[in-house]
Amino acid sequence: MTLSLFDQFMSPFLLGIPLIIIALTLPWSLFPTATHRWLNNRVLTLQGWFINRFTQQLLLPLSTAGHKWAVLLVSLMMYLITLNMLGLLPYTFTPTTQLSLNLALAVPLWLATVITGMRNQPTHALGHLLPEGTPTPLIPALIIIETISLFIRPLALGVRLTANLTAGHLLIQLTSTATFVLLPLMPAVAISTGALLFLLTLLEIAVAMIQAYVFVLLLSLYLQENV
Amino acid sequence: MPTSPVKGRIPLSSFGHLITEVKRQLFGIEAPAAVELTGWRKYFNSYTLQGRRNCVLATYGVLVLSAAAYLMHSRNKEGRQTSSSTT
Repeated sequence: MTLSLFDQFMSPFLLGIPLIIIALTLPWSLFPTATHRWLNNRVLTLQGWFINRFTQQLLLPLSTAGHKWAVLLVSLMMYLITLNMLGLLPYTFTPTTQLSLNLALAVPLWLATVITGMRNQPTHALGHLLPEGTPTPLIPALIIIETISLFIRPLALGVRLTANLTAGHLLIQLTSTATFVLLPLMPAVAISTGALLFLLTLLEIAVAMIQAYVFVLLLSLYLQENV
Repeated sequence: MPTSPVKGRIPLSSFGHLITEVKRQLFGIEAPAAVELTGWRKYFNSYTLQGRRNCVLATYGVLVLSAAAYLMHSRNKEGRQTSSSTT
């Protein structure tokens, strides 16, 4: 069966069994767990070092009350970075290209930050909807604009991740198809396309890590305003 | 290389602080101290936290009341149209 360009983004099924469940649980099985040994091996040490550094960096601007979110945010970061990087392997399915998954991550977390703000410091949370020093005639318009921008945040979070990953995967597929087709016809052009594919793959590795980081960073920023 | 005319570090997440700093440094408009605000400006202004909260609540209240008035008006209109078509 000839595959179209978008078949790589279709949720895979095998004999009626949704394989996305395996795709979503795979990162959990890949990470080594801490042992009771005094000195762990290199992989575990590196993992622990990276998680510690990242947690410190992420929680630096947050107050003590926001530190409760450390486990959630850091595990989300590790999860997203693994899903994105695994999706760069050939013939794999990237769950984070599904808008439903990204919105399912973004909306509840954003809503949790908003509800936390409204519960703990409602005056502060409502005051955020009007920038300080706004000229009086602009006050109603700016309140409406800020409310709209507040509600657009989860949508932007989900769509940003989906669009970046989908576009990257599509570009890789197009460039690799072009390279294969041109190889017997115009080898010199195929070599340039191949070089472009290599650079694109490097870019996509960076994008995979950066997009996961941006998702979590923005959530921590929204939390910063509300906690 | 053009640089920002606003001196000093402004928090990244605060649009409000940017407006205040721009008004102060470029136009010389100083934000009034809380004690200078009198009358209704004491409760509805864009300088104090309480003032901003009250402005937000007032705006939401006006929007909700307008929406409710419009819905009731359209429901009455439908009711009047139905009763005039049956008689």
